[in-house]
Order: sequence, then C-alpha cells, then structure tokens
Amino acid sequence: MTRSITRLIAILGGLYFLLEFVIPARMPSWLGGFENPLSPSLPDVASVVQVLSAMVFLLGPIHLARHHISAIIHKRENWVGSIVFLVSLLVTIVAMGGRGLTGDAAPKAAANFQLAFDVMYWGVVFGFGASSMALLAFYLVSAAYRAFRLTNLDAAVMMAAAVVVLLGMAPVGDWITLWLPEAGQFRFWARKILEVPNTAVQRAVLIGGAAGGFAAGMRLWLGIGKRGD
Amino acid sequence: MARWLAKLQHIDRRWLYLATFVLVLVPFIVKVPMPPGRASPTTRGIYETIESCPPDKVVLVDSSWHHGSAAENYSQFEAVIRHLCLRRVKFVVTSVGIEPIAPEVAQKVIEPIADEAGYVYGRDWVNAGYLAAGAPGAAASPLGIIIEGVCRDFHKFYPSDTHGTPMEKLPLMANVHSIEDVHMAFCVTYCPDPNWIQVVQGQFGVPVGFACMTIMAPQYYPYIDSGQLCGMIIGNTGAAEYEYLVDYPARGTDLTMASSFGNCCIILAAIIGNIGLWAGRKERKAES
Repeated sequence: MTRSITRLIAILGGLYFLLEFVIPARMPSWLGGFENPLSPSLPDVASVVQVLSAMVFLLGPIHLARHHISAIIHKRENWVGSIVFLVSLLVTIVAMGGRGLTGDAAPKAAANFQLAFDVMYWGVVFGFGASSMALLAFYLVSAAYRAFRLTNLDAAVMMAAAVVVLLGMAPVGDWITLWLPEAGQFRFWARKILEVPNTAVQRAVLIGGAAGGFAAGMRLWLGIGKRGD
Repeated sequence: MARWLAKLQHIDRRWLYLATFVLVLVPFIVKVPMPPGRASPTTRGIYETIESCPPDKVVLVDSSWHHGSAAENYSQFEAVIRHLCLRRVKFVVTSVGIEPIAPEVAQKVIEPIADEAGYVYGRDWVNAGYLAAGAPGAAASPLGIIIEGVCRDFHKFYPSDTHGTPMEKLPLMANVHSIEDVHMAFCVTYCPDPNWIQVVQGQFGVPVGFACMTIMAPQYYPYIDSGQLCGMIIGNTGAAEYEYLVDYPARGTDLTMASSFGNCCIILAAIIGNIGLWAGRKERKAES
C-alpha cells in the first residue's frame, strides 16, 4: 500500500513537471491560444519541494553527530578528532543562533555570539578552506614532475595541449608571444583548443549524460526497480 | 652530462614544493604588470551585458560561493560588484541551493564596495539570502524547479531578506517581482548549475552569465558556443580581465600573476621530469 502511494505521487509529480515544461507558455492560436494551465501553480509546487529538500539539512548533522559520538564512546581511532568536531559543531550552532537574540540585554550577548561565529568561520574555516585549495598547486607540480612523461604520441599531444592552455589562459603566455601576429599567440591557440575540440567533447559528454539521466528519470518515474518490481 | 641530467628524475619533492612556494610568492612582493589589452570574449560578454542594463531593471547576482572556492570566486565577485556600483546598476543577491553561508560571505565582500560607491542597502542593493534546494548536482536535484519558482514569483520565495527585513520594507524590491524585472542573471560559484541556463535563459530569455573556477570552465564552452551563456569569467585570469575592463586593478590582477607563476612551475616540473627520464634512458643504454 505504502509503495503504491509513493509510486502514485512519483508518477503524478513527474507528469506535472514534464507537462509544465513541455507545454508552451501560450499555445498557438489554431490550438486555442490558451496559456499553460500548469505554470501558475509552479511557485506553490516549488515551495513544497523546497520544504522537502530543506529537510536534507537535518540528516547531515544528525548522522555526523551519531557517528562521532559513537567514535568517542568506543574510543575508536582518532576519537580526539571527533571531540573537536562535536565541540566545533556545538559552538557554531549556538553562535549562529545567538546572533539573532532580541531583548534588553541582547545587543551585548548578540555581539559576543557574533564574535564567536567570526572566530569559527572567518578565523578557522575560511583559512583552512583556502589553504586546502592552495595546496593543490603543490600537488599539481609534484604530479606534473612524476607522472607527465612523454612516453608515446598520445602523451605528447596531451602535453602540448596542456602547455598551450596553461600559458594561453594566463598573462604569462602574453608576455612570451604578444609581439607575434594573432595566429602565433598562445592566447589564440588556447582559445581554439577550448572552443573546438573541447566543446565537441563536452557536447558528447552532455548528450551521453542527458541520455543516462533520461533513462534514470524514466526508471524513477515509472517505479521500475532493479528487480523489475 | 647525461649522468648529471639523469639525477633530475630523482629530485626530492620538497625542493619542488619550495620552488613553487618561492615562485608563487614573487608577484606578491614584486609588482608585475598585466599585459596590455587582455580581455577574452567570454569576459567581455559579461561586461557588455551589464553595460547595457536599462535603469528600470536590476541584475540578479547568485552568489553561492564560500571559503572552498574563495581563491578564485572572491576576486570575480568583487570585480563584478564593483562594476555594478560604478555603473550605478541596482542588484539583488541570492544564494539558491548550494551554500547556506554564502549570503554572509557575499555581505562581507559587498559592504565596503557599496559604501565606497555610496550605495544604500535596500534602495540600491539587497541581499535576499539563502534558499534551500536540496543537494546540488544530484540526479533528482530540485534546483531547476526552485529557480523557476523564484523567476515567476520572487516575493513568494523570498518574503524577507537575509537580515529578516520583510521585502515590502525594502524600496528596491517594490520594483522586483519576477524575472521580467531582471536584466541579467549572474552566478558565481565553484561550478554554476546549468539549471540557471535551462530555466532563466531557456524559458524566460534573460541573459545568463557565469563565474567559475578555472578547472570547471571547459564544461561550459558548449553553452558559450550556442549563445545560451552571454559570458563567463574564468578563474582569477577572468577576474583580472574584468578589472582591466572596469579600469580598477585589484585582487584578481594580483592573483592571476601568482597563477601564472604557478602554471610556469607545472610546465617546468614536467620538462625537468622528462629531461631526467630521457637522460636516464640514455645512460642505461650506454651502460648496457
């Protein structure tokens, strides 16, 4: 019974979104010239979808908290890290909630909560995030040194393309070739590589992905499971 | 000679890290000028679309970036916001579906630029805040549906701004109800969602521009080629190009020089590794 209801909701929902997208905003005059009757209700339907999708946010912290509490109780490997995680989570939640305090004593308390949040986010998380991203530069240099070996023609073509794009997409390429006519500049060839072979490949990937997405969507919509039930 | 060159394939990686660190640091110590006249057609597309904004319309800026992609999104966002302020174009900032902290980050970047330009919050710009839309990029992501809902009825999805002020109390929002009041949608994040193109450009015919990380840019070229994207700011280089167009060199210009030096490090590392490989092979052949 529950499964049937779920399937019915999926079929009706899928039908609504499909028809709303496919039916033109205004039909041609020879077909009556009426407006898409499903479009006016879309904001309401989207609100329902938004509320449902917001629930996803609860699942993440709940699962993470359960995992780390269990790690601390059983003293699993790196359980100290779990304490750091839980304390950080708690401080951030309290700080974020406290910033919106109202009342007589609220301004001072809210300022303290704001300070705690700023320390957690701008002082710790922002710095860590940017540092993690910056570390990629070092790994890329190391990978280029160890793995980018010209052992065959394919590797040579790939390396040539990579060098042209790396130089052409950054000012350094201009310093080297800006004095040449346009057809001799790195910038020109980098653009050609991105606009012609890259675009063709990306289109192929998009078409393949769309076909896969269509198949997955149809299975979901029609409730066709792995076992054919 | 070959024996000496063969040693190049056994360089300790820590030396490579040190060389990269020193080289990337150079542009921050010595001011290296940008080559003149550099602005790619993709960057120009965004600039020209904003330039053509009529006074009765706003630009919708979807700022969904945070610390993870600040290395490039920060300078892109800053450059475009500065352009909007210099050009006196009013704008509404949203953060649809990707990062809940994004409105806070956007606020921090916009405030000093807006203050400098004499922009008043609520009259000239509004930070509408975050809108949950599930996990982005997932097969069943409802992002497209939420975007379409926002396009049709902005106030229904955003009854108040990120500070909790009701929209009806913000003078700018009296004139912004749906996508018909928007001249252009501009999305800044690590990897902007193509739903923006499918809905905003495809269904409503409003120009869409992206600003993304350099490594994510190749996947959007088909949309540039088809005209579905009016332009794209690619990484710090794109930001530097934008700053050149606005005639206000800032963070992007500084950072793109560092990227340039980083790119050189990658190329040099590959060359050194290959010279070592070639010399090692030659040495082994000579020994046998």
